[in-house]
Amino acid sequence: MIRRRLKNYLFLSLMTFSGFAVLVPLVLIVSYVIKMGASSFSWTFLTHLPTPVGESGGGMAHAILGTLYLVGLGGLLAIPLGIILGTYLSEVGKGWMARFLRHAIDLLTGIPSIVIGIFAYILVVVPLKHFSALSGGIALGIIILPIVTRTTEEILKLVSNITREAGLALGLNQVQVIWHILIKGNRAGIFTGVVLAISRAAGETAPLLFTAFGNSYFSHSLMEPMASLPAQIYTYATSPFEEWQAQAWAGSFVLILIVLGLNLSTRFFMRQKS
Amino acid sequence: MSVLQVKKLNAWFGDHHVVKDISIDYISNTISAIIGPSGCGKSTFIRCLNRIHEEVPFAKVSGEVIMQGKNIYDKNVDVVNIRKNIGMVFQKPTPFPAMSILDNVLIGVRLQEKLPKLKLLEIAESCLRKAALWDEVKDKLSKPGTSLSGGQQQRLCIARSLAVNPPVLLMDEPTSALDPIATAKIEELMDTLKKEYTVIIVTHNMQQAARIADFTSFFILGDLIEHGASTEIFTNPKNKKTEDYIMGKFS
Repeated sequence: MIRRRLKNYLFLSLMTFSGFAVLVPLVLIVSYVIKMGASSFSWTFLTHLPTPVGESGGGMAHAILGTLYLVGLGGLLAIPLGIILGTYLSEVGKGWMARFLRHAIDLLTGIPSIVIGIFAYILVVVPLKHFSALSGGIALGIIILPIVTRTTEEILKLVSNITREAGLALGLNQVQVIWHILIKGNRAGIFTGVVLAISRAAGETAPLLFTAFGNSYFSHSLMEPMASLPAQIYTYATSPFEEWQAQAWAGSFVLILIVLGLNLSTRFFMRQKS
Repeated sequence: MSVLQVKKLNAWFGDHHVVKDISIDYISNTISAIIGPSGCGKSTFIRCLNRIHEEVPFAKVSGEVIMQGKNIYDKNVDVVNIRKNIGMVFQKPTPFPAMSILDNVLIGVRLQEKLPKLKLLEIAESCLRKAALWDEVKDKLSKPGTSLSGGQQQRLCIARSLAVNPPVLLMDEPTSALDPIATAKIEELMDTLKKEYTVIIVTHNMQQAARIADFTSFFILGDLIEHGASTEIFTNPKNKKTEDYIMGKFS
């Protein structure tokens, strides 16, 4: 009896400790970035282009916009494909083709992002002979694709077979069952996977270094280099100028706000729906 | 009048022969029960009647099931059409996830034909009334189906099946996951349903079969031991095994 209680107590405290241990780095990172970033963050930072060294003011408006463009493009390319692939793996694919695809997707998750950047460089930048937003979007798409695919597959696999049978028993065909019952019915879970993938892609620097490359003005063209927050942060943080380093902190602050905001707002909306 | 004729039906899971050479005539506007010990193939049998058995990997079927003069296992028959005509309610309630009560009832109709909204609401109300659920849900039709209690969910599933208006309704142990009060409600409901539909129900509860079924079939290990009027089966069984089973000598 005492032994059992002791064990119970031990495991409970171990779990509580692990819970807190997970929270520590999160709280530290976020609070430090807020502390360092908030001081150099201003309205100008959100709306203005960078100024030359030595001149005060200026911002990263072009990089914020660039990140939205690049992630948007990557998402546009990869999210529909990922959902379709995940659905295929869960609902249709049974043979060697599905096994092969599943392994390929797993491998894709494990490829270092810098390698994905090189791949996009060779695939798009080399033939076109210049850096472009398109190549950056493709690189981010390759990062988004496996995450969306796997979460979609896992979530659909959680649906019990009896739900599918209930749909078929109503005289629906397989496509109707998949779309109206499985995908729409689990949109919250699939959406969570999408947000996860987007957050991941929004913070990637390596795949953009030699694809979108970066610039210092507003660009709306797919065929031109484009700035992004992570790349801009990288450049500014490693520079010797104090103003730039402060700007890098502000950039990190905005990036975290974007990712955190995305996460929290989807949670909020999903809770409202269900 | 016979509405569904089963002729020499066999079913397998891989090499496992689960349903053996079964022939039964189902008469319209009656309730027929299938009883038998666990693993006797009663669920598999009923799942062959709307061709849902074949959705399981390695499942195989032979024999004929004749409905409206046509064998539902004919090569040129569209499975989807069969299932529109032969509805099914499952053991566990299966409200569709993240779908309102109203959408749950209407999904079958909506995806099969375009109807004006008013007509759809009419169908939903009449089906929910037939399933004795209308009074409990009429003020919260937009709430998710999963928010209902187990018994209500099961009646929602019945309403959903009725919405596509199938002449035959299959029920695979529809009350086994429900409490006695919910069970009583569904049994009561079945009695009214037979005015318009033919009901075939699998049950592991003999008393339930005796209470509600006009006809009862008794299965053991995939064989049909006896089929007849419930009054006969339960008071004067012809087969010794049936007698032993209903006397509770084995289960």
